[in-house]
Amino acid sequence: MNRFLYFLKKSLPFLITIILWRLSISFWNPSGILALIPIFYYTFVRPIDWFAPFGLLFCFLIDYRSNLNLFWTIMFCVFYAIDGFQNFIDVKNIEKNAIYIFMLFIGSGIFILTWMDLTWNNFINNLWLFVWMNVLYIPITSIEDLFNCKG
Amino acid sequence: MTKDKLSYKLIKIIKSALAALAVPVFVIYIMVAKPDYAIMNGMAHIVLPAANVVGNIVTWPIRIIGQGISWIRETSTIRTENEILRKKLDEALANKYACDIAIEENQKLEREINIKHASPYESVVADVIFDDSVFHKTTFLINRGKKSGLERGMVVVSFDNRLIGTIIDCGTQFCRVRAITDADSNIAVRVGGSGVSGFLQGNGKTSASVGFFSDAQFVGRGGLKIITSNISGILPSGIYIGEMIDETYVDVLRPNQNSRVMVLKYNNMDSYR
Repeated sequence: MNRFLYFLKKSLPFLITIILWRLSISFWNPSGILALIPIFYYTFVRPIDWFAPFGLLFCFLIDYRSNLNLFWTIMFCVFYAIDGFQNFIDVKNIEKNAIYIFMLFIGSGIFILTWMDLTWNNFINNLWLFVWMNVLYIPITSIEDLFNCKG
Repeated sequence: MTKDKLSYKLIKIIKSALAALAVPVFVIYIMVAKPDYAIMNGMAHIVLPAANVVGNIVTWPIRIIGQGISWIRETSTIRTENEILRKKLDEALANKYACDIAIEENQKLEREINIKHASPYESVVADVIFDDSVFHKTTFLINRGKKSGLERGMVVVSFDNRLIGTIIDCGTQFCRVRAITDADSNIAVRVGGSGVSGFLQGNGKTSASVGFFSDAQFVGRGGLKIITSNISGILPSGIYIGEMIDETYVDVLRPNQNSRVMVLKYNNMDSYR
């Protein structure tokens, strides 16, 4: 049982990402975009071995399904490079699981995408997506804490 | 300890450098490989089915619960739906007799003036597996691919023969379809019952707008029927798209309105060649 729990705990980040990507529903989770939450969290805030390439792969899959031509893949690489080269901001030690940095990551991406096709319809939809993703960031990133308490 | 810290920092910098290096590579690739994106799509044809299989295994309990809920919801509305359908069936049967007579008369006239119809396109029925409408893009995946003889450029229609979109990428067992509501979709159309042609462009979400009419004096109005035209051979002619809501917007089918579609084996690639 303990071994199973250990395995579950280790694979939790990967499982959350796969589940969020697979359970895509239009409006609530279009193209499995909510998977960007664990991708960001387990790459920058609580880095896990081998998660970065996994995250890159799922960014690619989100891009492919939403026909965005490597947009989030490039965003991921840009943030990864910035995070690695600088030492002014330590993402790992920012309060509230670094939600403000996540807002910057998602917000800058959504801003560019809104700018690419600036209509009221898109603006409102993209604003909704931005708010929704940020609202879900805290509960999704707290799943592991919950697991730690029980374990 | 210091040595470990140093090597950790070095590894981090190397990883970041690789990520930074990947950015211009990806950007150049996007600019160069347009519009086929052969490497990217080829990679997705391998990765996507594999990720789907893993996703299906991992999420089966959640999906079973979801299916159970939707089954309960459907069952609860089945009686009301049955009554509505019975009414519709009675109306349809009443219309059918009038239609039968019209069809017979039409066939008779066709024989008399010797009209020969071009054979209809062979079609493949497919299920919509993912509706991927996000940002200004409206694409969806269907569960038929190269194995069923589908190719890029083929036309996707609903069961009542209304245009939904065109295939933009084809894997072995799935295809990605760009809906006509996609902001990148721009197709040649014709106003039914007139010789006026124009272009229909998606707005990324719910509807599409028509404009650039061949007749500058033409003003659209609600109720006009819009059908495809065969300009540059991209789409077959005469497929019904929708009805105009006002002078600009057209009420078109959206991917989320169909769980099952038909793919017409119309290949526009030959036209390009």
